[in-house]
Amino acid sequence: MSDPECDWCEEVLQPYLDRELDEADQTKVKAHLADCKWCDDRYKFEGHLRRLVRLTAVEPMDPGLKLKLSELRLEL
Amino acid sequence: MSETSSEEARRLAEGARDRVRFEEDALALADQVYRVARGVSRSKEEAEDLMQETYARAFRSWQSFTPGTNLRAWLLRILTNLNIDRGRRAQRTPDSQPLEEGDYFLYNRLEAASGETEEERVLQRLSQDHVAEALAAVPHDFRDVLVLVDIGEFSYADAAQILDIPIGTVMSRLHRGRRILKQELADLAVEAQ
Repeated sequence: MSDPECDWCEEVLQPYLDRELDEADQTKVKAHLADCKWCDDRYKFEGHLRRLVRLTAVEPMDPGLKLKLSELRLEL
Repeated sequence: MSETSSEEARRLAEGARDRVRFEEDALALADQVYRVARGVSRSKEEAEDLMQETYARAFRSWQSFTPGTNLRAWLLRILTNLNIDRGRRAQRTPDSQPLEEGDYFLYNRLEAASGETEEERVLQRLSQDHVAEALAAVPHDFRDVLVLVDIGEFSYADAAQILDIPIGTVMSRLHRGRRILKQELADLAVEAQ
């Protein structure tokens, strides 16, 4: 696809997802995504990928480790 | 008791109280710090070692923390520095294979491989295991940034401060790290067929 708007959207999609775009650009991306299913599908996919990355690190810390950490405190 | 020694005793008691408060605050953040530790480590054991080193150092140098500033970022700065010091960086830096494809390339690739055009169907081709495996394959410098932003949910500016690198470097490493992640995922998804 060589629509310049889609090209632009592809370029700024990551900072958009990171909430690092300024407001004007953010509004522009939002409007484009509402208009363009092709980009919107890819936007949803990128968002889903982010969630999967986040999920790789949800295994909780061992209770034993927590105890060890608190034992590292200096003697009073 | 003379006036100076009671003054001295009061100061000591205050210092001890500040320290205990610092320790409690730091421990309360351990779960969040651990998520980043786990993300930048190759194994659970490595993450646990890194946590203990981080907390030991934090407790020793608690006085260099400025109360009222971001304690989580402060702890993670220690953690990422230790991680660098420990020479876990022996890993190859990625060869400069051209990553010219655009950001949509993984989606496009999966879509082409599946013959599906529906976003949901394309999504199903990504498994959680593949994502974990792909993330582990991203070289450290890039993974650190990726983990801080995607898992730690830090802003680019905070990540730059934690890693002590310019914000432009955060952005370029993030960009490259995500590209490498997707490249790995594309390979894994194709292999899985």
